[in-house]
Amino acid sequence: MKRLKLVLSILIVLLLAAGLAFAGGQKAAEKQTVTFFWAEYDGLTEDYRASLQDAFNAAHPDIDADIVSTDWDLMYDKLTTSIAGGKPPELSVIGTRWLLELMTMDVVDEVTQYLSKSTVDNIAPGAMEAKLKGKLMGLPVAAGARILAYNPNLTTTVPKTMEELREVCLKVNNPPKVYALIMPGKLHTELTDFAYYFYAAGGNFFKMEPDGSYGKCTVNSPEGVKALSFMNKLAQEDKVVQEGYLGLDRMDSHPLFYTGKVAYTFIGAWVESAAKNAGAPFQPKYGQIPPFAGQKQKPLIITDSIAMFKGTNLEAAGTFLDFFYKDEWKAKFDEAIGFPPVTISAGKLPQFQTPLYKILGEAALNAQGWPLIEEWAECSNIIFNAQIEVHLGKKTPQKALDDAAAAIDKLRGK
Amino acid sequence: MADASISLKQKLWNSEARLAYLLLLPAVVVLLTFMFYPIVYVLLMAFYKTNKLSRMVAFVGLRNFTSEMSDPEFWVITGRSMLWTTLAVVTKTLFGMIIALILNVRYTGRKIARMLFIIPWASAVPISSMLWRWVYHPVYGLLNHTLKVTGLWSTPTTWLGYPIPAFIACIWVDIWIGIPFMALVFLAGMQAISEDLYESASLDGVNWWQKFFFITLPGIRHIVLIATLLSCLWTFNDFNTIYILTMGGPAGATDILITRIYQNAFKWLRFDRAAVMAFVTFLILTGLSIIYSRVYFKEERL
Repeated sequence: MKRLKLVLSILIVLLLAAGLAFAGGQKAAEKQTVTFFWAEYDGLTEDYRASLQDAFNAAHPDIDADIVSTDWDLMYDKLTTSIAGGKPPELSVIGTRWLLELMTMDVVDEVTQYLSKSTVDNIAPGAMEAKLKGKLMGLPVAAGARILAYNPNLTTTVPKTMEELREVCLKVNNPPKVYALIMPGKLHTELTDFAYYFYAAGGNFFKMEPDGSYGKCTVNSPEGVKALSFMNKLAQEDKVVQEGYLGLDRMDSHPLFYTGKVAYTFIGAWVESAAKNAGAPFQPKYGQIPPFAGQKQKPLIITDSIAMFKGTNLEAAGTFLDFFYKDEWKAKFDEAIGFPPVTISAGKLPQFQTPLYKILGEAALNAQGWPLIEEWAECSNIIFNAQIEVHLGKKTPQKALDDAAAAIDKLRGK
Repeated sequence: MADASISLKQKLWNSEARLAYLLLLPAVVVLLTFMFYPIVYVLLMAFYKTNKLSRMVAFVGLRNFTSEMSDPEFWVITGRSMLWTTLAVVTKTLFGMIIALILNVRYTGRKIARMLFIIPWASAVPISSMLWRWVYHPVYGLLNHTLKVTGLWSTPTTWLGYPIPAFIACIWVDIWIGIPFMALVFLAGMQAISEDLYESASLDGVNWWQKFFFITLPGIRHIVLIATLLSCLWTFNDFNTIYILTMGGPAGATDILITRIYQNAFKWLRFDRAAVMAFVTFLILTGLSIIYSRVYFKEERL
């Protein structure tokens, strides 16, 4: 009898639990879930993420937004793993340069389909790097052109051309007390430094085909050779760059600028907060990365976007983005990470009218991003190695870039 | 015949055998799931074209292998991996032996010395590698500063900036991390050798070298074999040290198979190429293990 009672009790408990789970499931099914892989940019706080999530969920009781904080360095792995596992998020911050790979996997959707017209119209046209074949495949979230920062205690000249920069560097350079220019010679993650000089010489990494696709690699063009020869001259002949530059990547090199030992560096929007955090004994000043004589100014711009992954809750994801891109939230986000706003309305706010933002805004007008090709990560590595082979004296700039272009064309089947 | 089959069945399926199978089952399941499945999957992947999600999309036969092996860089990297492993293991064995001999001598503070020697091995490899990255820093690094102030080298090289110094710098860190393991394993072997042998040898007027070559070394021969085999496997696959110090640079000069596998798979999403390299690594290390085990068991039988 006791055993019968025990069995009955267990059955009742199990039935109750199943009933509750079913009821909970019904309730959850009524709500649409939006999972958002959120990149942990420098300056963003957990409070901001939590308050954005809470505010959205309170304003939209029918949607359950889950903003998942992710280390930026792990984002790519997390994203590809979740896609491979068949459970991508509805939204994720991505490097815009990943977009083609994601499109090849056929996992991303056109974001404009799910956004309100006012949100789309408020995006600065220059920030729409993710517009591919007329379709906006990623909403810009952070876009920053690279600029020239200088230490006013060591120099007051803002060079107008690369040639002038070299002249000033030769005057300012007084190692080991003062180095004229930062030039990272060790691979960090991307090819940024070569791109500064290459774009300044008017170069393009690939020939653009009439249909808008990327053709053969043109890194070995006269512009490429000019840029690499100039870099090598600054480093090996003039010796105006920091000591041991080939052993220092970007993260090792920039702190030298913050200590006040270096006159010039090409850098991004984070310079002001990074210098402040490092306790720099000076207030950096800013100018544009100069072009070579006779060329137009064309700095590198790096953009990150928010991609929308194919699934069922994309209307809700669009509602979330409309909410996030209001000045109340997006301007706060831009201010925290130090990048210039990508929305037109936020760009007019008083906090974005400082000298740094002015320079960044001007730079963005003529800036050029990375080539949007699937194999860019590997191509970038090939070009970086070519650059180093020249610095090591193994090859001439022409030979190194010819080999790099051939390797890239072979890789891309061109 | 029938009796034989019954006897075999009885042997394989008696109550004792069933208990053994039951106890072995979890280990077999774990091995099949976490070891054999990935190995077989990677092997299969090497014969397929893969997409960016590492899924196999088309069978290509040996094309991945021929494409990889026709690339001169593949052979350079494979050769460098072998050179890296040989130099590192030989040096670790030599230094490990010397340190073990020093630690085996009775003196005050021997216990503290043993504790201190284990620190590099006990520390996490990424932490040790990052520490050495600071040591090698060309401007603020301890190494170049020491070389300059002591006058040993007034214009020291940029250790991680040039091919040969970078290779030496990376291999030294791997050696520095690996020596304590070798030393401790050798020391354990030395302590198992009977003191009587040394005392008898001393009475016979045998000198230190003769004791080492005729008592110590034969006494720890098996341990040396096992330790160097393990060291070869770990060193060949030492990803952390190289990746943290140089990321395979400058211009690929410190790339070994394991770092290139990582780049192919997780930076460039070329899983098929990575699978070919992983398979080659598997073959090399399996071959090495077979040679070692043959030598080991041959000596055991003797």
